[in-house]
Amino acid sequence: MELIESFGRWVEATALSHAITRSPWIWPGGEALHFVGLALLFGVIGALDLRMLGMAKRLALPTLHRLLPWAIFGFGLCLITGVIFLIGEPLQYIVNGVFWLKLLFIGLAGLNVLAFYATGVYRKVERLGPGEDAPGSAKVIATVSLVLWLGVMFWGRMLPFIGIAF
Amino acid sequence: MNMISWLDQTAVATWVRESPSLFAYPGIITLHTVGLALLVGINAVIDFSILGSTPGPSLAPMGKLFPVMWFGLWLNVLSGVALLVADAKTMLPNPVMWIKFVLVALAIVNMRLITHGVFRELSTTSTVPPRGKVLAVTSLVLWGAAIVAGRLTAYIGQ
Repeated sequence: MELIESFGRWVEATALSHAITRSPWIWPGGEALHFVGLALLFGVIGALDLRMLGMAKRLALPTLHRLLPWAIFGFGLCLITGVIFLIGEPLQYIVNGVFWLKLLFIGLAGLNVLAFYATGVYRKVERLGPGEDAPGSAKVIATVSLVLWLGVMFWGRMLPFIGIAF
Repeated sequence: MNMISWLDQTAVATWVRESPSLFAYPGIITLHTVGLALLVGINAVIDFSILGSTPGPSLAPMGKLFPVMWFGLWLNVLSGVALLVADAKTMLPNPVMWIKFVLVALAIVNMRLITHGVFRELSTTSTVPPRGKVLAVTSLVLWGAAIVAGRLTAYIGQ
């Protein structure tokens, strides 16, 4: 932890970090894009999860799955703007336990995505047509996905309120 | 201004603003984020689908996702009112907040035109009508701008 903190202090002293915090628009603009990204990511992933759980069952799964690039784009927006915040104010994040919980949940959500595509579950649902039910394994992954991404939003929002405030 | 001072002093406003409970301001603003993700996220899913090449009848069942969208809207109207009352002194006089209200109002009208207009025709037409494509674009622009304006209320216009 001390090593990470001293690394944080080093990042904070860089010209890039100064540029981020001194700019009047980088932080507000980054926050705005972070939320646009969050909506795209959660909207597409959430709709896919809900379909696998049985909602809008007459919708063929590929109709939703083809929107996945927008979820990846949304994640990219969140990742890039998130890294900008981290470089701008590294210590406010790395000494806050909530930040690590948020990263843990993102990591677990990533493993869940891996479980979906690498263990053959996706192959069972990729041709799911109108009215067809997803198998139990897909329903489990969909539920875990919803819980984890809601958790990511929860921990993100809690950053200024639990632990140290900023 | 008198109304703002009165709002500011109500029990609800004081509790949301000053209670140390995580269910107060932090919890309500978390609900506002979840509502945003559902409302704008599902809107985006519908808009991108309309703009894609999926034939109308295949898109029509997407209407079953509308309740999720309306749920997100109501979650945000309720949580938004609580947050607004709590910060009435800074937020009500903020022009950026009023820009956000106008954008949200237009986006809701746009959303109704899609759910009650475009989607009614989908089951009978093989292609999405051009009006639907225009409404999908304006929906994306309006919701995107509403998010940006909402986030900026914390930084400008105060």
